[in-house]
Amino acid sequence: MLETENLKLFEYQVLNGTITTYINIPYEGSIEELAHVLILNEKLPKYMAKDLIKSLSQFIEKHTIILEDEHITKLLLNGKESTDFEDVTKEWEKLIKEEMAEYGEQRCASDEELFATAYHKMVHSRALETMLQLEHMYAKIVRKRCEEKNRQINDMSEKQTLEMNKALEHLEEDMAEMKINQLVSQQFEDQSFLQIQLTSELDTIKEAQRREYREWLMQMLEENQANSSLPTPNSPLSPPPIPIPAMMPYTDNSINPILEESFTIHLGSQLKQMHNIRILSSNVMDLCAIIDSECSEPMPQTLQTALNLYSNDLHGLVLMADNIIGSRAIKEFKDICQSSTEFHFNNIEDQLDKIISLQNEFKRSKGTADQRKSTKHLQPGDFYMTKHSNLSQSHVIFHIIVDDSVKCNDINSRHPVVLGLRNILKVACSNDVTSLTIPLLLNYEMTEEMTISWCEKRAELVFKCIKGFMIEMASWGGSDLKNLQFMLPQGISSEVFQSLTEMLPRIFKVSNPLILT
Amino acid sequence: MYNKEETLRKLLKQDEYNFGAITFFAKLHKGDTCGSNGLPLTPNSIIIYGQAQSLKTFTSPYLCQYLDIIRGKHERTVVVSQYCGKPLSESIGKSQFQVNDIKRIAFQIITALDILHKKDIVHRNLSTENILLQHDGNIKLFNYGLYHMTCNGKLVSFPILQLIYTAPEVYLAGPNATKSSCRSDIWSLGMILVELVLDQPLWANLKLGQRIRKVLSMIHSNTSVFERIAREHNCFEVYENLDGGLKEFIENCLTVMTKDRPHSKDLVNKNIFNEFSAANQQPRSKVIKEFKTFTIADFYHWWQLAGGDVLQELKKQGLIRSSPPILSMPSLVLLDGSILGQERNPMTLYDPRVALMPLEALYDRLKDVTVTEFYPLFHCNSKIIKNSETNKYDIDLPLIIREKNTEYQFQRIIIFRRLLHSYPYGIDFLISAAEIDIPPWLRGEIWAAILRIKGDYENEYLLIDKETPTNTDRQIEVDIPRCHQYNEFLSSAEGHRKLKRILKAWVHKNSQYVYWQGLDSLTAPFLFLNFNNEALAFACLSSFVPKYLHKFFLKDNSTVIQEYLAKFSQLIAFHDPVLANHLYEINFIPELFAIPWFLTMFSHVFPLHKILHLWDKLLLGDSSFPLHIGLSVLTQLRARLLSSGFNECILLFSDLPEVDIEKCVKLSLETYKNTPKSITTRLHQNEEYYPITKDFNISDISTRELNKERCARISTTDVVKLINDLKDNIVIVDIRNPTQYNGCASEKSINIPFSSVKFGEVGIESLGLHGNMLCNNTEKNVVVVGSEDTDLTLFPKFLLECNVHRVCVLHGGFDSLLAAKPSISFVYHDRNNVH
Repeated sequence: MLETENLKLFEYQVLNGTITTYINIPYEGSIEELAHVLILNEKLPKYMAKDLIKSLSQFIEKHTIILEDEHITKLLLNGKESTDFEDVTKEWEKLIKEEMAEYGEQRCASDEELFATAYHKMVHSRALETMLQLEHMYAKIVRKRCEEKNRQINDMSEKQTLEMNKALEHLEEDMAEMKINQLVSQQFEDQSFLQIQLTSELDTIKEAQRREYREWLMQMLEENQANSSLPTPNSPLSPPPIPIPAMMPYTDNSINPILEESFTIHLGSQLKQMHNIRILSSNVMDLCAIIDSECSEPMPQTLQTALNLYSNDLHGLVLMADNIIGSRAIKEFKDICQSSTEFHFNNIEDQLDKIISLQNEFKRSKGTADQRKSTKHLQPGDFYMTKHSNLSQSHVIFHIIVDDSVKCNDINSRHPVVLGLRNILKVACSNDVTSLTIPLLLNYEMTEEMTISWCEKRAELVFKCIKGFMIEMASWGGSDLKNLQFMLPQGISSEVFQSLTEMLPRIFKVSNPLILT
Repeated sequence: MYNKEETLRKLLKQDEYNFGAITFFAKLHKGDTCGSNGLPLTPNSIIIYGQAQSLKTFTSPYLCQYLDIIRGKHERTVVVSQYCGKPLSESIGKSQFQVNDIKRIAFQIITALDILHKKDIVHRNLSTENILLQHDGNIKLFNYGLYHMTCNGKLVSFPILQLIYTAPEVYLAGPNATKSSCRSDIWSLGMILVELVLDQPLWANLKLGQRIRKVLSMIHSNTSVFERIAREHNCFEVYENLDGGLKEFIENCLTVMTKDRPHSKDLVNKNIFNEFSAANQQPRSKVIKEFKTFTIADFYHWWQLAGGDVLQELKKQGLIRSSPPILSMPSLVLLDGSILGQERNPMTLYDPRVALMPLEALYDRLKDVTVTEFYPLFHCNSKIIKNSETNKYDIDLPLIIREKNTEYQFQRIIIFRRLLHSYPYGIDFLISAAEIDIPPWLRGEIWAAILRIKGDYENEYLLIDKETPTNTDRQIEVDIPRCHQYNEFLSSAEGHRKLKRILKAWVHKNSQYVYWQGLDSLTAPFLFLNFNNEALAFACLSSFVPKYLHKFFLKDNSTVIQEYLAKFSQLIAFHDPVLANHLYEINFIPELFAIPWFLTMFSHVFPLHKILHLWDKLLLGDSSFPLHIGLSVLTQLRARLLSSGFNECILLFSDLPEVDIEKCVKLSLETYKNTPKSITTRLHQNEEYYPITKDFNISDISTRELNKERCARISTTDVVKLINDLKDNIVIVDIRNPTQYNGCASEKSINIPFSSVKFGEVGIESLGLHGNMLCNNTEKNVVVVGSEDTDLTLFPKFLLECNVHRVCVLHGGFDSLLAAKPSISFVYHDRNNVH
């Protein structure tokens, strides 16, 4: 912070003349040192130091006070003349109320926080298993209904197709074009009606589940607190059926074997900060979707997710989106979110609606002054965030806006999407997201232009940029990124995978194994 | 018999040794901004951290001492400070004070303010809440540094003020004003005294805005502000009947026009305070500093060792509350860094509450401490007494454990406090105590003592010009923001400023040298340890460089470095021929990796906490010790080096892997102790510290010659010493021809005539029986003795290539050995044969 220059001429009588120097008021250094510098520069005898110091301090003190007084006296005189201190009082009052807990509004913990505390407490108690069972069963019910819904809609579509085909066959004969149109609109209406009806049914179920679940949880907490010991929690649903002998969930690994490799790296030249890095190739939606198994046991990953939900170790995932919030580009993701009840946060549609209105509000507040070419949509590099409790391995999703330019071969570190990643890391670091999954190629799908050299070039760029951001992050004073996953598209060839994993130790410093002797 | 409980209570459980903590958040930097040097901005909490350090040095009976600054996550700052007694606000309305008491309080506050104002610090936060009344009726100011440490409030988003005590000009200037005047504090003092005199809280029933308006309305007052306040509170009689001196004092303080309001230095000398100021002046020795067995800062340190955790305590007492982060996520972040949809977390508002730290755990840890431990004996002729004080702590435990042990550190600090107080007298006691270990808490001062810092180093530092721009400034500016920046001290703005000043001072003072990159790293440990004593950090650096890095900073330092590295190679060959041969074969010479090691005494390659442990021992050794450290680092990485080629080695050392520093220190000490001194003696070492005696003199070797010799030379003195040593760890290999050998030879020598060795084939077997013996040797020093007409490089090299340990060459050959005749015995095989 640069104070305005305010130089004052200091004059000092010596035997054969006057020495002069300019001193910036207020002077912040040591007066003694200043005196000795003067003695050195002006070749004065050393015995003068004492006297010089004295006159220097007097000079500086005098001018500091003059400077101070000038300003304050003006203020006070103006104050004396005015009779009304409304503006200045309001300004202080506002600041004090906004910033100081004593004078701020007394605020009770919100429902959200209360539920969060309750859930966090219960999930770290013996009730954990029952809670997960219950969530699992709720999810199964919803999933069944979803399937039912899809089936009904499919049925209707098929029926309608048949109907339409029949109608078209008769077009020449007795069906007028108008009648066909009528049929089309009729069918569309039926379809929409069914869709709405089923969706609303589903929403009702979810709402009921959510209410039931939250009430049950709070009640359980109360019981626990009353008894202080932990009774075996009772689930409001009928006891789970006898577990079917454990069967390996069916996943098709034979076609696309999961490729993954882990590293422990360190950053920093003297003090070394450790991080875990993993490269894997898989379908990114596997980090979201809870695999639907007939098995009555919930997936182990959900356990981890539930335990960390209200902790300071959140899991984040970067997904690609286009510039319209909640567009079809993220439909698959939205479907996964909808396939079970969200017990903690607003459902995905509501969250997205809120973000849209937030964006509109921001645009309005910025008005026309904004220089951005098109404020209507988001720009590449912007990202919106949604939070979830019903995904398999992620709590927070960063939907980063990308456009076709990421497909180019020659993007550099100033590309908006790369800078967006930097912002993601920053937000992650200041909001306790300590595990993060990033698309290494800035793409989750294999496309034609992704040749081996394209992939290598892209991976190198992302590795290097992320490394730079991580080093930068160390000074931000947030939480450390403990686990970083680089995701490659499913079906990437093992040669490319290998060449990329070989590249990593060249860019990041891989820690030496600790050998115990 | 003394009552143990009672004594301990008196020594430890004093009211003064209580402390508390406050916490607040620093302002976040907006968006994505960079500093003028293009590097990311330093977080405000780190700037506060650096700025607050100097507060710790303030000691006055009327100020609570600052003890610690702690940075939490997400820009949280915690300030730990002495906290004892009760807030003055609790005594108001209880008719507790007589006029004289109020005068004394006024005097003590103004004295404390005067101390602060002299250091150009404005309190801005003065109120009856943070003036603490002690049992004895004295007061202490608390939390007086908040305005200063936050750079006059710029680094925090909350205003620093106390509603009714704040001076009107502060309100008028608005929240974003520059630094307030010291005289604003004088107004606050006036208001506090009014409250004490009227014995009631002022405007207690008014709301926030009304109170501010009330203060502002005072500037319209044409009569005395004091009188007006008294009338408003229906206490006019109290005002009228008040002691004249005090009334005048208060009215002085409450002068509306700041320019007419007196300064603290004027007020402190007022006549009404005569009785107190006289009592306050105790005769003190100018020469001898006052001695305290331990300080509250030591006490706080022990408390931490005993498991005290300020952050945990703040959480327990509800001053740190956190809501789960997932509930406060932002929802939209634009490319330019604007974050939308994140509400201000109410937990981050400023809450002035103080959390007192419980001391029971520490009392409990120290309950078995005996009184004698408070007063240790140093000079003691009686063996009985000495033995009765056997150390009850196991000093063979790992250093890390000892450093964390409360009782042990208690004992060490008490001992070192005394030794430091008597310094420079008793330096030998201090050195031998430091050889055991150095308590981290006092490391800065102990190092300074080991480096023999004496005299008026403060004044010396003062005289040096550290401001005038020079042509090394640019390089210094570039290096500083890259020097140990993970450390909060060194990354703070204050740290940068101090480091720059010290470096400039060094360059100025040492005109025969130039600034080499690395000097910044070398200074870092000293600055870190003496953050509040720049002059001492500089003095330590100035004494360290000539002792360990003599001539390293010459503009052309190549000969010095060359010699150093040659000695390093020879030391490796001496102790680890296998490794030396491998490195030699792949041509991985020390020049490629070891220059930054030695030029910065490892301070560039290790993090601070490791450097400190390393230098603890380095400072006790001589200038050859770093060579041993280098050797021990190589030894730790030995397996990897042996299996690597040139490229892998370069890669491995480009960023030195983690090194176990305790192992490293241990190993270096070991080799340091069992290596004959002359092996590592250098021509360029500082004669002032290491006088080169005649016997040691191996000075007639040029660096070029030295570079050719793969085995070190040993001096006659060392050989004589080894021969006479009872341990019998020397093998003298006499390579003169048998005739000469049989004529006269050292008693314990074996003869392997130079001419008999087939150098073509590397194989120790060719040496026969002697060969086997040499091959199995690991302990004994193998001294090769020749004469003028024998080649003194080929044979030792041969032995080295055969992986024989500890090979060295007698400097001066057999003749020099002969010169030492009376002290060692010789045999004359010829004559024996004759008889």
